[in-house]
Amino acid sequence: MRNRRHRWAVTSLILPLLLSCSCSMSKNRVVIGSKNFTESLILGELMAQQIETHTQLKVERRFYLAGTYICQQAILAGRIDIYPEYTGTALTAILKEKASSEENAVYQEVKREYENRFHLTLGRPFGFNDTFAMEIRGEDARRLHIETLSQAVPFAPQWRAGFGYEFIERPDGYRGLAAAYGLHFEGEPRVMDLGLLARALHDHEIDIAAGNATDGLISAMDFFILADDRHYFPAYQAVPVLRMQSLQEHPELAVALEPLAGKISDTDMQHLNYQADGLHEDVSNIVREFLRSRHLIP
Amino acid sequence: MTFCPTRPNHPWCPESARRLFGYQVAQSSNEVGELHIVQYAERMQETAPDPAIEFKEVSYAIGGEPLLRSFSLLVHPGEILVLLGRSGSGKTTSLKLINRLVSPSSGEILVHGMPNSQTDLIQLRRGIGYVIQDVGLFPHLTVEKNIALVPRMQGWTAERIRARIQQMLKLVGLSQEMGSRYPHQLSGGQRQRVGVARALAADPEIVLMDEPFGALDPLTRDELQREFLSLQKELRKTVVFVTHDLREAMLMGSRIALLEAGKLVVVLNPREFLHSDDPLASAYVRAFGDGLESIANRGES
Amino acid sequence: MSVLQFMLQNRGQVFELTLEHLWMVGVSTLYAILVGIPLGILIAHRPVFNKPVLAGANIIQTIPSLALFGFLLPLPWLGERADRLAILALTLYALLPIIRNTYTGIRGIEPAVLEAGRGMGLTEMQLLTQVELPLAVSVILSGVRTAVVISIGLATIAAAIGAGGLGEFIFRGLAMVDNRVIFAGAIPAAALALLADLGMGSLERHLQPR
Repeated sequence: MRNRRHRWAVTSLILPLLLSCSCSMSKNRVVIGSKNFTESLILGELMAQQIETHTQLKVERRFYLAGTYICQQAILAGRIDIYPEYTGTALTAILKEKASSEENAVYQEVKREYENRFHLTLGRPFGFNDTFAMEIRGEDARRLHIETLSQAVPFAPQWRAGFGYEFIERPDGYRGLAAAYGLHFEGEPRVMDLGLLARALHDHEIDIAAGNATDGLISAMDFFILADDRHYFPAYQAVPVLRMQSLQEHPELAVALEPLAGKISDTDMQHLNYQADGLHEDVSNIVREFLRSRHLIP
Repeated sequence: MTFCPTRPNHPWCPESARRLFGYQVAQSSNEVGELHIVQYAERMQETAPDPAIEFKEVSYAIGGEPLLRSFSLLVHPGEILVLLGRSGSGKTTSLKLINRLVSPSSGEILVHGMPNSQTDLIQLRRGIGYVIQDVGLFPHLTVEKNIALVPRMQGWTAERIRARIQQMLKLVGLSQEMGSRYPHQLSGGQRQRVGVARALAADPEIVLMDEPFGALDPLTRDELQREFLSLQKELRKTVVFVTHDLREAMLMGSRIALLEAGKLVVVLNPREFLHSDDPLASAYVRAFGDGLESIANRGES
Repeated sequence: MSVLQFMLQNRGQVFELTLEHLWMVGVSTLYAILVGIPLGILIAHRPVFNKPVLAGANIIQTIPSLALFGFLLPLPWLGERADRLAILALTLYALLPIIRNTYTGIRGIEPAVLEAGRGMGLTEMQLLTQVELPLAVSVILSGVRTAVVISIGLATIAAAIGAGGLGEFIFRGLAMVDNRVIFAGAIPAAALALLADLGMGSLERHLQPR
């Protein structure tokens, strides 16, 4: 009998404690999510530190969510309030529409659909477009005096190309690109892991690679991105996705995030990525330094 | 002869006529040793009232197998009718037809004059005590709760139930403190005592017993048989008792109905059974050996 | 920083993920009980349904959990929210132990008890509620215990489809290649499973019919 009473006493003490814990937490806290790759982590941390500095809200980080679908689920369920997404990804993966290279149109459509269907909204773009980038060695670009893809077409048949699996597979990847520009490379493009592309390009094993516009190693290894003058590649502007309910409850979020709009160029992002991936610096330090240097935080 | 039906005592009434009209010969002694015919007035009423249970041409078959064929039988109130037979003879089936645990393929069973197919099934069963060989006490209930089950369902007051439990425990020879024990804490004999108490708790007029003492050791069986008989003297329930043991049948039964292969062979009182010419009955008597005389004479007939 | 220190430092998140985890397991087990026990009673009383019901539940069990999550994704309404989906999948996995144990528990009752009960005039409903279920409760509870322990483990996989819970730590730790984070998810999950097993085990023993 004593054991029974003892058990009930303990449960009845713990339960209200637990409940009260969660209650007090929900009122003035915001949860920021991110995907599980460096660039997303950096953007997440940027928003986190910005909000921490400029509001009274307690920020919780729920990073390393493994993919777009998972982030979408988390934000719909209210487990996170904000996370960084790309307009192109939102358009194709979530809204299941065809990709488009019209930056503005894509942004507007995603914002509108998100607000109507999911009660989510987009903040203003961070300022860079993380789309596909055709990279060549800097020395080659300077030697041949080429800056755009169209200018590269005559030299392409002498180049060996290296692509990642996704770029080869997707219809809006290599095939579309080759058709749009009339590109032909020497032999078949070599397919390799994304991480190995940079090294292969650097070591002259390949002459042109399909990477991302914000790859950290671009400036470090002196690579040059050929401009997409025919606007083939879809728009992948980085934007914050926010729950409309969170915005209503905490309008100071919009105020805190506004200064970030347009502040990060492609080159800025490349540099940040390099610091994390190339120099292995701690992400929160990198972000703090950056924010300070732009006078966004004291 | 014409006055025989109503005046069986008349000296001109032959014995055969008396038998014909259902009168039994009773021996009564006098100094001269002459045979006197006892006044049968009360006796007549005893043997010719409405039967408590009546089987009317009952047949029962399952999956084409006939277990009972054209079975007709009367059970008189206050008697212990034994259904005797080997396994497969239909004795357990006939018992179960009474409280409608099985339904006949044809024919009907009347309980207190009403066909039991027309009575509310649940009330029928609650008004009939049921004692089985494996007892079937509810293991998760105390002895008291087991006994109290039917009274509780019938809405007896708590007071009345409590008193009844005390009474029942006393009746079956168990101490009052047994009431709070659980079935697994009891011996086989004690369990069956509780089984009987449970069956009698709501004071049913009819009690069905299916080889109730069959799983007990001979000593305990003997005890319980004798105790039940003395109980019956007090309570005068109508009992239908199934067994395959002739000794038990002779001891317990006021009448023995012998079944074989689903058919009723004979219905006789123990003494008649012992001296019967019927081949099956005499086979039974032979199979059970000596000592049956004393049992037959010891029991009431 | 050791695992324990890490967990202490992030106790808010550990706590939150644990709650998410418990919610998934709790709701799905409840649904499985509401569906599974009546089904178990049905097949115990009408053995003709025995094979199809048990076979059906068995088939569900053989589907790898991650695959089941994947199959359910295209469903309308359910597929839109990962937590609904996870709860559905967990409910399906919990069905077999609960149905099977209800069936076994009721069939395991001594036939003489049921015969005596019927002969005494108990209605079928009274027989079920006053005799069969009380006698089978310990076995049924054992089935529920199995279901709960399985669910706690499966719910960690639910994080792969975005349902949250302690699995999120595990997947995050894998991506970060950081063992402390993995353990921050694995240890509470294992602790929950142990607690459930022990707690319900003692409840079963307490309720065992003598």
